[in-house]
Amino acid sequence: MVKKKRVPDWLNSPMWSSSTVTTSPPPKSRSLSPPPPSSSNDDRYGSYPSKSSSVTSSDSSLNEPHLPLPPPTSIKHEPIPIPTPRTRIRDSSTRSESSDNDISSYVEDVSRQSQLLEELSRKIINIGELRQLSLLGIPDGSGIRSTVWKLLLSYLPIDKGLWSSELAKKRSQYKHFKENLLMNPSEITRTLEVSASLKNGDLSEGKGLLTRSKLPQGEHPLSLGKTSIWNQFFQDSEIIEQIDRDVKRTHPDIQFFSGDSAYSKANQESLKNILIIFAKLNPGIRYVQGMNEVLAPLFYVFKNDPNEDYVINAEADTFFCFVELISGFRDNFCQQLDNSIVGIRSTISRLSQLLKQHDEELWRHLEVTTKVNPQFYAFRWITLLLTQEFNFTDSIHIWDTLLSDPEGPQETLLRVCCAMLILVRRRLLAGDFTANLKLLQSYPSTNVSQLLYLANKLRSC
Amino acid sequence: MVLVLAIGDLHIPHRAPDLPAKFKSMLVPGKIQHIICTGNLCIKEVHDYLKSLCPSLHITRGEYDEDSRYPETKTLTIGQFKLGLCHGHQVVPWGDLDSLAMLQRQLDVDILVTGHTHQFKAYKHEAGVVINPGSATGAYSSITYDVNPSFVLMDIDGLRVVVYVYELIDGEVKVDKIDFKKTSTATI
Repeated sequence: MVKKKRVPDWLNSPMWSSSTVTTSPPPKSRSLSPPPPSSSNDDRYGSYPSKSSSVTSSDSSLNEPHLPLPPPTSIKHEPIPIPTPRTRIRDSSTRSESSDNDISSYVEDVSRQSQLLEELSRKIINIGELRQLSLLGIPDGSGIRSTVWKLLLSYLPIDKGLWSSELAKKRSQYKHFKENLLMNPSEITRTLEVSASLKNGDLSEGKGLLTRSKLPQGEHPLSLGKTSIWNQFFQDSEIIEQIDRDVKRTHPDIQFFSGDSAYSKANQESLKNILIIFAKLNPGIRYVQGMNEVLAPLFYVFKNDPNEDYVINAEADTFFCFVELISGFRDNFCQQLDNSIVGIRSTISRLSQLLKQHDEELWRHLEVTTKVNPQFYAFRWITLLLTQEFNFTDSIHIWDTLLSDPEGPQETLLRVCCAMLILVRRRLLAGDFTANLKLLQSYPSTNVSQLLYLANKLRSC
Repeated sequence: MVLVLAIGDLHIPHRAPDLPAKFKSMLVPGKIQHIICTGNLCIKEVHDYLKSLCPSLHITRGEYDEDSRYPETKTLTIGQFKLGLCHGHQVVPWGDLDSLAMLQRQLDVDILVTGHTHQFKAYKHEAGVVINPGSATGAYSSITYDVNPSFVLMDIDGLRVVVYVYELIDGEVKVDKIDFKKTSTATI
């Protein structure tokens, strides 16, 4: 079978247009197309079964040889222990019974949840399986997501017995950071002083000239020395001001972040502390606008854990997970690396290449004909991990998939971005520079499961 | 942690052209929260300069000040401390610590900042502390020999004050500090 360079037909199906096409429920038998087994195992792709059959009914002649092999998710599911085949059988029967996708997706959700819980209850967690399970999405309940994210970001070790000691260690380390780095210079100089503050008495004692004493290590507030803690403090205060401004602007529509209650103020305080400590510990990248957006979902998920202990220590846990997450993207934030191989420009060009590989027509139209430079839209997509393109809950779902990639979120992120472009290809192909740019910079709301399914499909091509 | 600059007796332009360069390089905007000035600036340009360092500027009138609208004395509260400000030429004998203590009791403040003698002093008595930042330009004074340019920066942190004394001696800036604290129950 010669793989032609033209657009594969499954791309041209009405399914991929941005307006969600609700085609008629599957009348035909399923023997024509290999039933996509992935949908039997995930919750949110429940909408897919109806559409795939409509695809078969319309393009029956061409579809079968061109439909890609059953998505690799089915292959991946084989190593998973016995529960899976049972649920698969159960679900496929449910599917054929009712075209109501909600019921089947609920069942799949429950099965997913039980699989995850079972995985998490083991003494030694198989991180590979956990990654595969989370690839399809993590259910919202019982604090599963919070624990799974911590495992995926290597914060919690895979040996469950080590959890309490690891957590205690990390949390005390964070406390240490807070004490050292969030102190203002007055307090620091006080601790530096040798003694003698007892000598300089209270105002209520006797009278006499006050004694002058030497400065501790020559530190005084107007010091211009580079190593002076006062000087550093004043330089840091600019960054602290910026962090403060950005935190106040994070997610103004979500009560958790920007209400007037003491709870949201405390949350903002925590976000600020994390960012300030990160900036101080990483003089290389300090704080870059946008880090607050990357931090927000992490903190939200960890703070909403039903486990009391985790909630109290959410700040410390979030800090380390944030560090881990950013470390994969460090190079995107460093200005000097912009033009280098690891910098943001090269990442964007990789996205471009990916699009060219999968959908040359769209690529040509976008970059050559309408000259929409991917930097105009993809920069924000990539550096902020798509938090700004979707609403909060959707971006958390996307993050499930992003974090599950064993090689780091970057690869999956590029595939998701490519899928985003392909999903609106019809509008893009019809648009000129202005229209396309407008569309891509405020990406229309879309079915996230569809998006993720397509992104996953791109992996197999 | 509030930084308060106490400065005064510059006598610009009559007795001195400007602040010493080394002082000027240290006094940059953005670091100081309040400036209290004992007086004798004397002209508006100096007022504007100090205002550029910090918008919160408090001045009392010295006998040579050209702006007659400055008050004779001023009191303000910063953190837990009450500060009093007066140029000092009104308190006779000039520089006499007991008379200044009387003024302090009158104003009912913890820290009294006065000038006029062009000599740095930090003195403690039962009613509180008297601080004289000296002359920032080292201007001539009829009552003090060998005036060294000096000013004072106070770091008020809760109940504790650290007074940093900046003096220009032989062309070099020397910095010392003085600590004192107030007991919260002290009814000074």
